[in-house]
Amino acid sequence: MTLLKIENLAFSYPQSKEPALKNINLTIKKGDFTGITGPTGAGKSTLAYCLNGIIPHFQGGKLEGRISLRGESLFALGTAQISRMVGSVFQDPDAQIISTDVEQEVAFGPENLGFSPEKIEQRITGALKLTGISGLRHRPTAVLSGGQKQRLAIAAALAVLPEILLLDEPASELDPAGTEEIFQVLKKLNRKHGITIIIIEQKTEQLAAYANRIVVLNEGAVVMDDAPRQVFSQLQALKDAGVRIPQVAGLAGMIGINNRPPLPLTVEEARGFVERILRR
Amino acid sequence: MAALIEYLPKDSPVHRLNALTKFFWALFTLGFGLLFNDYRYLLALLASVLLVAALARVLQNLLPVISGLTVFAAMLFLIQTLFYNQGQVLFYLIPGVDWVPVTFQGLLSGLAMAARMMTIILSFLVFLATTRTQDIVLTLVEKFKIPYDYAFMFLTALRFIPSFLNEVKMVSAAQQARGHAIEGINPFKKIKSYAPVMIPLVLLSINKAENIAMAMETKGYCGGHRTSLRETKMKHADYLLTAALILLLVSSAAARAAGYGAT
Amino acid sequence: MSRKSLLKVENLTFKYGAEPPVLKNISLDIAGGECIAVIGQNGAGKTTLAKHFNGMLKPVSGKFYVGGKDTGQLKVSVLARTVGYVFQNPDHQIFHDTVAKEVAFGLKNFQLPNELITARVAAALEAVGLTAHHATYPFNLSKGQRQRVALASVLALQTEVIILDEPTTGQDYRESMQIMNLVKQLHQNGHTVIFITHDMSLVAEFAQRAVVLCDGKILADGGVRSVFSQPELLQKTFLKPPQITALAQSLNGYAVPPDILKVEEMYELLKTRGEEIGCFN
Repeated sequence: MTLLKIENLAFSYPQSKEPALKNINLTIKKGDFTGITGPTGAGKSTLAYCLNGIIPHFQGGKLEGRISLRGESLFALGTAQISRMVGSVFQDPDAQIISTDVEQEVAFGPENLGFSPEKIEQRITGALKLTGISGLRHRPTAVLSGGQKQRLAIAAALAVLPEILLLDEPASELDPAGTEEIFQVLKKLNRKHGITIIIIEQKTEQLAAYANRIVVLNEGAVVMDDAPRQVFSQLQALKDAGVRIPQVAGLAGMIGINNRPPLPLTVEEARGFVERILRR
Repeated sequence: MAALIEYLPKDSPVHRLNALTKFFWALFTLGFGLLFNDYRYLLALLASVLLVAALARVLQNLLPVISGLTVFAAMLFLIQTLFYNQGQVLFYLIPGVDWVPVTFQGLLSGLAMAARMMTIILSFLVFLATTRTQDIVLTLVEKFKIPYDYAFMFLTALRFIPSFLNEVKMVSAAQQARGHAIEGINPFKKIKSYAPVMIPLVLLSINKAENIAMAMETKGYCGGHRTSLRETKMKHADYLLTAALILLLVSSAAARAAGYGAT
Repeated sequence: MSRKSLLKVENLTFKYGAEPPVLKNISLDIAGGECIAVIGQNGAGKTTLAKHFNGMLKPVSGKFYVGGKDTGQLKVSVLARTVGYVFQNPDHQIFHDTVAKEVAFGLKNFQLPNELITARVAAALEAVGLTAHHATYPFNLSKGQRQRVALASVLALQTEVIILDEPTTGQDYRESMQIMNLVKQLHQNGHTVIFITHDMSLVAEFAQRAVVLCDGKILADGGVRSVFSQPELLQKTFLKPPQITALAQSLNGYAVPPDILKVEEMYELLKTRGEEIGCFN
């Protein structure tokens, strides 16, 4: 079921000669876990801003095309309304956590939308449970680890029960443990609770393992849009786009698989793949 | 320094009181402290504030502040003693020429001043330590009718003080590592030598402010009607305490007018 | 051939005020010309240790020597001539309106003559590939380019030791490789390079020696191959070896060595085996 449809989206920042986005066409289905990747300046964050209302409400510029969520045009809505459908999580934990304690942080979104105190209470409990940080409810935000802070940011976004969770490089400042923490939470949210995930990331090894769809952007245009096994088998195109190739996919590509055995995306899959070679 | 104004989450009867009640209590200590000059009254007031701090279980946390305040109090004591010349002279600071008399009344007056200063500051710190910032904001908005945006600005600024102080440290370290030193006796030179720290800080802060604004925008903050998770309800204890404090203040004013505690 | 010790840490313990120690009795010996990666989870003490190397922090107990001299009393501005530190966020340093002026800043602080400054700035910009941008306003550059400006500022000081604190965080793949290849070149030119990173594949590709920190102590210190062959050890500080190494280790039943560091190595190994078994592709 199509949830989000982006048609001929184009955008130029004010006083900029080059358009940041050129004729983007994308369809996101309900329950998708879409990974968006590409080099710096490709337009990934710009695309995210178009999806959560920052463009055009906070950031001006020349905007063309159409984005519809369940058939309804996104550009006709205000950011408050959009926040009920698309929850946003940004890169820097320190610049998106606004409150001094966890409970208040998660309450912020529902409070802004005028929910009753009982409903806010319910939503807080639910969001903390979804992200596995119920035990941190009364902690001050300053003492949380990087991974915990980002889980809090996810909980805060989920408190208004959006259908789509949009994340812009949430793991870029985290250590490997924190990165794994976030992706595990996202996997659970997607597989178990059916939340549609759109995540911009440079960490392609994680995207390969968890996403069911990869979109590669370069210079404002979509250059690849397919399942991970298809995308990560196109080694030359990925190299040209400056995208990091997961090592196991790179190995399989060097060996040459001609699409017969499926391209390995994780260490476990690669193990099976290599064992077949070594046993023959 | 930011730790001074931080809320200390503890379970105490003081924490459970409404923000308004605690604010009235702080105002009461201010009023009482200004009404009386008698060192006995003021020392008793100081003792009562320390008692409340102990009851709120924040006394230990405030000890570093108290020791800092004691230093200032000592200075105040010294200054007051030097300038208060009435009453029975105990000794002269510069003997031989009988200059700078130190009188018994002067010592007591100095003690009173010091006690007053410490009491007033401490009472407000106890208020801040036992009240969640969002409750202060809520009270400001609901009871004092301050627009939410301003109250929220204040609250958010407080939240970002520690992270700003952290950035100051990082930028200073980064510039030091390039051989830059904050130096010079010449005030102009000294100000100029702050530029490598101030400029990146300003730029970083502006950038962070923009990111925060974006985050708020995507969480539906739009200045319209908003509700609150926590409610500022006044319970029986709050009403009783507030009434008692008002009564105490009125009777103190009356007592003072009648001449008690004037010296 | 044993190289001369350049940086020596002796029983170093460090803590902030009355808090529990961040570094506990660390001892480390770094010779001139080494290329070392310092790894460990967040909070293990990597940056705290690195900050001792250029004197920003002083040991609470224990000693730190540079070139045989005890640095206990040395000021940062003095040590900065021997140990250059490239910070994680270039925006913590940049404040001039052109790239060239920014790179010249440290040299001005050292009060070098103007002609020398101009020459060093040009050389540093050339080394990082930003000669074309010498008059650009730094904030018109991408983060990766600004990181290179920060690196150029340190290069211009011509310090023997260069420390890089997470040089690739927040950058895309191309920019990361650009910076790391520069680092490799610096090492080949004789500098002693120490870099802190979370990216294990960078360690595998660019470092010779890995120092693993966990909870303020050194968990492992040795050649990258030997350190990465001990995944249980790495696990203690919540690290995993790069994918290709983990793959090699999961194939130990097939006599695959556990210290494969690069995709090419694995490919060569499989090609050899494939030829033996005669089945390949």
